[in-house]
Amino acid sequence: MVVADSPCSDTGTILRVRGPLELTCRLDSTDALHTHKVISRTFQTLHSQVKSESCVLTVCDSPVIIWPNRGIHATPEEISPDTLCEDLHQWIQTDEQESAGKRSAKKKSKKSSAVNVINLRLMMEVTKTGPVSAPILSKTVQKSHFLSTTLPIDCVIRTTCNDTIKDAFERLLAALTHQLCEMEKVTLQHMKGTSLVKPEPLHFLLPEPKGLVTVVYPAGVPDSQLETQRKELHQQFELPDDWPFFRRANAYHFPNEPYKDGYLRNPHLFLTHPTLENGKVYLVQGIYSYHHYMQDHMDDNGWGCAYRSLQTICSWFQQQGYTERPVPTHKEIQQALVDVGDKQASFVGSRQWIGSIEVQAVLNQLLEVTSKIMFVSQGSELASKGRELANHFLTEGTPIMIGGGVLAHTILGVAWSETTGQIRYLILDPHYTGAEDLQVITDKGWCGWKGPEFWDQTAYYNLCLPQRPKII
Amino acid sequence: MGRGYIVEDAVEGYLSNLCEQQAAPVTGLLIGQSSAQRDFVVMATRTPQREESTSALDKEWVTEHARQVSRMLPGGLSVLGVFIITDADAKDTLTTLRQLVFAVENLISSDNLWSPADDDITDCVTLHVNPKTRKTVCRTFDVKDPKSMAKPADWKYQLGVCSSWSMVSCCLNVDMLVPLPDNRASTENMDKCLKEGLKVWTHQIESGVCLIDGKKLPDDTDLTSGQKRNVRQTYTAQLLITPDDQRLPDVVQRCGGSVSVRGAIHSRAYLHSNKPKARLAEKLLKRDVVSTVATRVQMMLEELLISEEEGKGSKDKQQTEQFCLPRRIFCPVKVSGPVCVCDYQFSDEGQSEVTDRLKEMLDMDAAEEDLDTRQETPAEILEKVVEAEPTVEAVEALEPKRNNYIGVAMATAVALLATAASMLYLNDV
Repeated sequence: MVVADSPCSDTGTILRVRGPLELTCRLDSTDALHTHKVISRTFQTLHSQVKSESCVLTVCDSPVIIWPNRGIHATPEEISPDTLCEDLHQWIQTDEQESAGKRSAKKKSKKSSAVNVINLRLMMEVTKTGPVSAPILSKTVQKSHFLSTTLPIDCVIRTTCNDTIKDAFERLLAALTHQLCEMEKVTLQHMKGTSLVKPEPLHFLLPEPKGLVTVVYPAGVPDSQLETQRKELHQQFELPDDWPFFRRANAYHFPNEPYKDGYLRNPHLFLTHPTLENGKVYLVQGIYSYHHYMQDHMDDNGWGCAYRSLQTICSWFQQQGYTERPVPTHKEIQQALVDVGDKQASFVGSRQWIGSIEVQAVLNQLLEVTSKIMFVSQGSELASKGRELANHFLTEGTPIMIGGGVLAHTILGVAWSETTGQIRYLILDPHYTGAEDLQVITDKGWCGWKGPEFWDQTAYYNLCLPQRPKII
Repeated sequence: MGRGYIVEDAVEGYLSNLCEQQAAPVTGLLIGQSSAQRDFVVMATRTPQREESTSALDKEWVTEHARQVSRMLPGGLSVLGVFIITDADAKDTLTTLRQLVFAVENLISSDNLWSPADDDITDCVTLHVNPKTRKTVCRTFDVKDPKSMAKPADWKYQLGVCSSWSMVSCCLNVDMLVPLPDNRASTENMDKCLKEGLKVWTHQIESGVCLIDGKKLPDDTDLTSGQKRNVRQTYTAQLLITPDDQRLPDVVQRCGGSVSVRGAIHSRAYLHSNKPKARLAEKLLKRDVVSTVATRVQMMLEELLISEEEGKGSKDKQQTEQFCLPRRIFCPVKVSGPVCVCDYQFSDEGQSEVTDRLKEMLDMDAAEEDLDTRQETPAEILEKVVEAEPTVEAVEALEPKRNNYIGVAMATAVALLATAASMLYLNDV
C-alpha cells in the first residue's frame, strides 16, 4: 500500500535517549600519551556496545522495547520497523495532571509550539542464547591507576509525522555514536594527569530551522572559560554575536519536565495578542519567571510590588545566562541598596517601598547590569512612548519595571501602530496574591494586555529599562 | 493458622530409611519452595558423616552442610528447614531444632548478596521424627524474629509435588572490572574488592528489566494462565540492565592492579505450579543469577586461599594470572521430574567428582549419564591475553586443584568469613 507523503499537521516528535554508559579502565601510567590511548580504546568498546545487538532502547512509561541493531526488533509484537514514530505515543501512559499550571479545557490556548517528547532509556541486554563458556577471573597485579566513571548519554533527534521508527532509530544511533565521539574529545581535551572531567551534554534550542542542537561541555568548567567554544558554535550556526545561545543557563527545558522551583515561565505566551491597524507587537525576548506578592512564604502584600518586578527582571538575566546569581530575596535587594550607600542599614528587614532608581541601582550592584531611566511627568504621556518602548524590546528585549502613582508593574511588551498611534501594553502584575495557576493569571488579567487608560493619567512615572550586556 | 507443607512422597521413604539405618540422632535438611499460600518440600538430605565421627550433634557441621547445599540449589529451591531423627525428649529436641534453624538461616543469608523482599517468606520448618514410633512433629519459626515461638504446621505427603513445576532460565554475560587496593594484593584483598564489585553488579541486576518469552509482563500476570493445568512449562528470560545513576563518585584512583570476571553463566529458577506470578519468576531468576556468579567467585577464592596456604602459589610475581571459574552442571532430582539441582565442576575435575559430591551433600545416587552438561562449557583461557594495556608480561593460567573434602573447604570458608558459624552460637536461644 502506497502512502502519500501527507503534510504534517504539527511539529513532529522529539525522541530523547538518556542512559549512563560505564567508562572503566586501568591506567598503567599517567603520562598523557598512554592515558589517551587507553581511554580511546575504552571508548571504542563503548562504540561497539552501542552498535551491538545487545544495545536496547526502552520507551519510558511504556512496555515498548526496541533493539535498534537487530533489524529494529521490538516488543510488543504489534510494533514493526514500519510503525510511525508518532504511533509510539499511544503506548505511553501519561500523567493525568499537568505539572506546572493548569490549562483551560475550553480555551484552545495558543501555545508557542506543540512539542511532543518521547523519552527513551539506553540499556544493555546481558542475556544471550546458550550454551555459554564459563567465566574467567583475571587478576593483574601492578601499581597503576583505576579510572571509573559513567558517561551521561543524552541524545535527541527530531522526527516528522512521516518518519517510521526504522528511520528514526537509525538517526538516533548515529546521534549516539556522534555523542560518544564528542564525549571522547572533551574527556581527552580536559584530562590532566589523574584529574578527570566528565563530559556533559546539553541541548540548546536555536531559531528555526536549526532546532535542537546538542553540545558536550566539560562538567564543572564555568561558562567564563568556554567562550572560545561558544564563539565557534555561534560561527558554525550563523548566530548573532551579541546574544547568548550556548550558555549553560540557555539549555533547553523539555516541556515534560517541571521546573524545580515551581515558578511559572512566560505566562504571556498563552495570551492572544491584540491586532491594531497597521500595528505590530513587540515582546520581551527569552524566558523570565513570574514573581508576585506572597511567594516564597514572604508576605509583602501592599509594599513589595517593585521588589517582585525586580525579581522578574533578575530571573530574566539568570535564565538567559548573563548571571549565575539566583534571584535575590527582599532582604538581599535591601542589603544591596545599603551596600551602595543608597539606604541606611535599618532599611534591611523593613517594609519600605522602592522605585525605578533603586531597581536600577540593585541591577547594577548585583548583576552588573546597567539600565536606562525613562521619565514621564504624567501618565497620559505614556501613550506617546510607543516607538521608544518598541525599540527597547527590539534591541534589548528585557522586561521593563515601571513605577508611579503608588504602584509598580512590569511591562513585557507593547503593541503599537506607527500610523494610528494606537498602543497597548503587555503588563505582568506583581500584586497577584494567589497560587501559580496559569488559567487564573491569564483569565483575570494578572498577565494581560492593557490600554493607555491603565495608567494614572496625572501621576508621574519612572521606567527602568535594563540594558542587556552584548556578550555571548 | 499454621503453614501447610506439601511434601514429596519419596521423602517419607527416605526419612523412614534413615530411622532404620543410622544410629540416632540423625540430622538433615529439608529442601523446597515457600509461597504465600503453601510450602512445598521436594527432597530431604541427611547431614554427611564427619571423618572424626562423634555421636553428638555438631551444630557447626549441620550449618556448614546447609551452606554447601544451598550453593547446589538453583533459583526457586532453598533450604526450608531442618529435620532430626531422635528419640530424645520432644521439648529438648525442639530447642535444638530451633537453634539449628536460626543458625542455618543466618549463615545462608549472610552469603546472599541480594536484598530481601517484602514478600519473602521468613518461616522455616523443623521436623522431629521419632525413629521408634515414626511420629512426626512439625513446627515453624519465623527467623526474622529472634523471639519467635514454635508454631504448629501441617505436614502432608503427596505424589509428584513438583512434576508440573515450571522453569524460567537464561544465559547471561558477566563483565566486571574492579580495582585492587594499592598495597599487597593478597587473596583476602581480592575477596573484599570482588565483593564490592559484586554488590554493585547485584544492584544492577536487581533493578534490571526482565522480559519473559520476549515480553515485559505486568508483575501480577499469572504465568501459567491459558496453559493446560499440570503441563510443565519452560520460559526464557531476558535481562536488560543499565549502570547505576547514583553510583560511587567518578574517580581516578591509585590501585595495586585490577581483577576482572568475564564470561557467561546459565541461570534458572523453578516455580511451583500454583499460579506463579511473573513477579515471582523475575525475583527467583535474578537471585539465581546473582548467587551463581557469587558462589563461583567465592569457590575460586577459597581454592586460591588454600593454594596460598599450602605454598602452591607461584613464587615469582606474575603480572597477570587467569583462573577458570567452575562450570555449572545440572542433575535432575527425580528421573522424570523437571526439577534439578546443580554443582560446579572445575576444569581439572571429572564427572565422577560431581557425582561424588551429589552423593555426599545431597545423598543423591546419580549416574554420569544423568548429568546435564550442555548448559555451560568449561572456561577457556585464550593464549593471547586481550587486555586494555599491552604491557602485560608473563601470563600463566593457574588451575588450582579442587579439594573434595568438605572438611577442608569448611575450614577455608571459616577463615574467609570473619563471623563464622561459631559466632552464631554465642547467643544461646
